[in-house]
Amino acid sequence: MNDKTIEFLKQIFREFYYKNSSKISAPIRMNEREFGYMSFDKVMIRHLSFQTEGELRVFLVKEVPHSVYYSCAYYHEPTLSMDEKGWKGADLIFDIDADAIPTNCKEEHDKWVCKDCNFMGKGKRPENCPKCGSTKIDEENWVCSSCLDATKNEAIKLIDFLLEDFGISKDKIKVHFSGSRGYHVTVEESSLEGLDQLARNEISDYISGMGLSLESLGISKGASYDDMRRSLPSINEPGWRGRIASFFTKLEFEGYDETSKDIKDKILYAYGKMGYKGFEDFAKEIVNKLSANIDVMVTTDIHRIFRLPNTLHGNTGMLKKKCDDLTSFDPLTDAVVLNDETVKLFVDKAPKFTLKGNSFGPYNSEKVILPLFASVYLVGKGLAKVINSD
Amino acid sequence: MEIEFGLEDLAKYPFLKEAGDYVKGLSLSIEDLRQDDYQPALKRAKDRVIEAIQKNFISIEILEPNLEILSFPLALMLVKAIGIDYFMHRYSLAESLRAERLLEKEKKSIISNIFKSAFNVNLISIEHDVFDFKMGMIDYLLRATHFHKPEWKLINRIVEKGFVYVKTHELVRLMREEIRRIVYERMKSLSLPKIPENVKEIVDEISKALPPVPSKELQEVTPGMFPPCVMHVLDLLQKGQNVPHYGRFLLTSYFLGIGKSVDEVINIYPKAPDFSERLTRYQVEHIAGMRGGRRRYKVPSCRTLITHGLCFKDEILCGRIKNPLQFGRKPVDFKKKKTDDRV
Repeated sequence: MNDKTIEFLKQIFREFYYKNSSKISAPIRMNEREFGYMSFDKVMIRHLSFQTEGELRVFLVKEVPHSVYYSCAYYHEPTLSMDEKGWKGADLIFDIDADAIPTNCKEEHDKWVCKDCNFMGKGKRPENCPKCGSTKIDEENWVCSSCLDATKNEAIKLIDFLLEDFGISKDKIKVHFSGSRGYHVTVEESSLEGLDQLARNEISDYISGMGLSLESLGISKGASYDDMRRSLPSINEPGWRGRIASFFTKLEFEGYDETSKDIKDKILYAYGKMGYKGFEDFAKEIVNKLSANIDVMVTTDIHRIFRLPNTLHGNTGMLKKKCDDLTSFDPLTDAVVLNDETVKLFVDKAPKFTLKGNSFGPYNSEKVILPLFASVYLVGKGLAKVINSD
Repeated sequence: MEIEFGLEDLAKYPFLKEAGDYVKGLSLSIEDLRQDDYQPALKRAKDRVIEAIQKNFISIEILEPNLEILSFPLALMLVKAIGIDYFMHRYSLAESLRAERLLEKEKKSIISNIFKSAFNVNLISIEHDVFDFKMGMIDYLLRATHFHKPEWKLINRIVEKGFVYVKTHELVRLMREEIRRIVYERMKSLSLPKIPENVKEIVDEISKALPPVPSKELQEVTPGMFPPCVMHVLDLLQKGQNVPHYGRFLLTSYFLGIGKSVDEVINIYPKAPDFSERLTRYQVEHIAGMRGGRRRYKVPSCRTLITHGLCFKDEILCGRIKNPLQFGRKPVDFKKKKTDDRV
């Protein structure tokens, strides 16, 4: 990104923060949190602290960061080094990222290029270049409404775990669109605040379906069918057992007659057909469908810094925005906050994309005039640069 | 709500604050311990300490509840008077194992009361084919994450609206470490009065009966967290007895395996007159894979240790582990390691 482009983005961001200053609200217990930011020349600054909302607002207008972060953790001394901060507790946080969710649309819009031999392909980046075997591969990932819908579905599943299994009250769960590729879910002011990394690991494994044993479902290798039948799950049970039993109601097995049989019969029938190993793989598939695809590293990190709500994402110019009604939230419209003044750009390469209901592209080494929100979206991703309007 | 315990209950679980209140109610002074009336309680306290530290075990028979209750604070005083932290740890562990054995057979209502009184944990008794109680998820997680068998994983439990279903014996297992900590903390915070001569004599007798204290490096780890096979080799070393070659191999590979450095492992070996640091270093570095074939040796499995006569399995402590490294540890999922912490 050249100086001119950086200056352009900074100018836009500064103006946004200046005009929308009153909308920047401090997170709860702000003075116990660490803040950090990344500048447009990609320098990361951490261990900052703000005492008042006003201070934070002034900082945004003055520094104009590419990205602003705040810690999920509460500290005695947020500005000291990590060892000296004095950890008091942390919000329980979840990150759902489109990159981690396999969707068909990735085959259409994601690309990779081998840095050694320039061989390229579509879809998910391979470990090694199929032509020269190099591991130096650049990827160009894109998000579209389909990927974002898939991420939203994962967030909906996650929230169900939080409400039904963990009994967290709805008003403590905050959902935000991240401003780029997914959703952030935060549980604040709950008794879970003091949980350590190991406990959070258990929570993230629970939600992401890691380590579910067949024995916990009542299936064990040497047991008789009668014994197993007694310990199999039923539909009205809570937790994973109930989830899996309910899932079985939707399944159909060839040759299985449901008449006067219950869900345990159905599970046993499937087990009989597949055997232990086959059933284990089958159960894994079910767990994959029912679990929420969260980034476990984020949830288990008790010092993590998270993008600050209501700030702009430097790669997109979109807002990290609270979703009051997740089902109806449309990130590619609702989080687009920059205006539609026109900007003259030179676009290297960009696939077709939609923002605020308008369709743009595809572009290939061409000069275009785009509304500001679409311009920042491309420039932020490093796919375009601003050219003089004259 | 006031929780009521009978004398028998207090004798079984003398770490309860209600047992402490009972002893306080007797208004004993330290000088009273000279009297004949208290000699049986002192004797029981002495047995408690020796049994605990030597065998990692305290008998659960209760002949006379009053005496049993009183013997507990006296035992704490005796261990404290010995003045060695290592023995305080060992003693606390043995007390926790004793409580565990008793709790296994306990009535549900008493278990609930104990958990409320000692740990401030609310248990809800449930009617269920398999489970006996449900407990808050946080209470569960704070304790269950120290266990590594799959059945302790939250995902393998029934979790409903923030509660986890548990069986009585699971609950008891979860609380053992906590009882150990309560006993240890109680001892740690005890301020010793000037003890009478007859009690001093008992302290001396106990001191003579106790095993030697392992080196400082070893005491950094809670004694209960070492597998019995490793403890056995350590005891041999500390007593200056002959340690078989394979025992040294177990010790070295085990301590390297739990992350000790080569220097730390060398320091574990006592500096006996025939100690050669150069030779020990060579051997330790060899096992660490820094010499010779550059192969890092793994900790021998429990099965191999049985073959070499080095397995001293403790049914409760070891459970079904297959390698000493699994003792009291939770495996790390290396796949999840990542460095960037921004989102």
